[in-house]
Amino acid sequence: MKDGIANNSTASISQARKAVEQLKMEACMDRIKVSKAAADLMAYCEAHIREDPLIVPVPASENPFREKKFFCTIL
Amino acid sequence: RKYMRSPPTPEMATQEVPLNETLAHLKTESETLKSKLEEERAKLHDVELHQVAEKVEGLGQFVMKTRRTLKGHGNKVLCMDWCKDKRRIVSSSQDGKVIVWDAFTTNKEHAVTMPCTWVMACAYAPSGCAVACGGLDNKCSVYPLSLDKNENLAAKKKSVAMHTNYLSACSFTNSDMQILTSSGDGTCALWDVESGQLLQSFHGHAADVLCLDLAPSETGNTFVSGGCDKKANVWDMRSGQCIQSFETHESDINSVRYYPSGDAFASGSDDATCRLYDLRADREVAIYSKDSIIFGVSSVDFSLSGRLLFGGYNDYTINVWDVLKGTRVSILFGHENRVSTLRVSPDGTAFCTGSWDHTLRIWA
Repeated sequence: MKDGIANNSTASISQARKAVEQLKMEACMDRIKVSKAAADLMAYCEAHIREDPLIVPVPASENPFREKKFFCTIL
Repeated sequence: RKYMRSPPTPEMATQEVPLNETLAHLKTESETLKSKLEEERAKLHDVELHQVAEKVEGLGQFVMKTRRTLKGHGNKVLCMDWCKDKRRIVSSSQDGKVIVWDAFTTNKEHAVTMPCTWVMACAYAPSGCAVACGGLDNKCSVYPLSLDKNENLAAKKKSVAMHTNYLSACSFTNSDMQILTSSGDGTCALWDVESGQLLQSFHGHAADVLCLDLAPSETGNTFVSGGCDKKANVWDMRSGQCIQSFETHESDINSVRYYPSGDAFASGSDDATCRLYDLRADREVAIYSKDSIIFGVSSVDFSLSGRLLFGGYNDYTINVWDVLKGTRVSILFGHENRVSTLRVSPDGTAFCTGSWDHTLRIWA
């Protein structure tokens, strides 16, 4: 029925159809405004910033990487 | 339905192909849908993140420096991952070696030689009892870590994933039982570790997939991947469906990482920028770039609160960005070649970088 050239376009058509279905699905998404998204990102930062050891450093004695410890091996 | 009304060509008249099924019509429909998508996204673009963040307090001066240097690899370090115990690290290298380190003492605890060079991916199991790795062998293998330092780790190796091109990244899910992989073959896949069975595959990238990151467990079963097609895709792990796609980078995406709340993710690209995409607004909301930064970003990660974004660059530096304000707050020097991998520790007290200079550094 369909020759070799038609089979090639069958594959392309199938791919194009998948792309259309994917886009239709993505179009259905419920989106929020950037202002709301931004506010939520900021709120999360604010809520956790005090526990962020790279921003509010814990005392050196509590950060194993910052404390000056000397490791000795007994020979 | 204007696009269905074009005059029939002689071919279409003789073949029984419905008008709306031809390639040309599908492509037109694709373009129309893409424009509609952009329109919908644009309607909600009422403000920029950095504008909203103007009222946020600025960050102070940063004193971050190298606290440990891990030496032992014989060639470029390509990947690293932290253990949940916040002190152990696994790293992999171009020379085929995978090393487990105690980052506090810098001691090497385990070493295994892979049968291939360019071990581009490695990951620590959640239990801390195993590591996964792979690269040019197109596989992802799991090595249980023995308490006996003399035991040959390679003997207990389990082959889990099989791709048809290189393994670019791997990650355990929230247990030791499943592994997620990405590959140069353009796909991602989810595997059962015990049986090696393929549980789900993820098709949609048009070229090599270079990176992936799992959503924080509270936000459900999704993950994000980035590839050479300049796209970042968000996937539903159960259905295999691509649920969101972002295409704003101008070159390969080398790294993707979720914001700690799970509502956004950052990406790093060969186009020398890092970007932030908000999942609920369904768009890019920030670009982290400077005219003076012209080398690609290999790896990105957030600090614990999400306020800082660390980027490892091909110009040997680490740039630290204020995620909300979009400004650079620090630049860190130390490595003597490209930074290839970067991860913040599980409790956020430090971050680790791996480099083509054969070393890893712990910064705090």
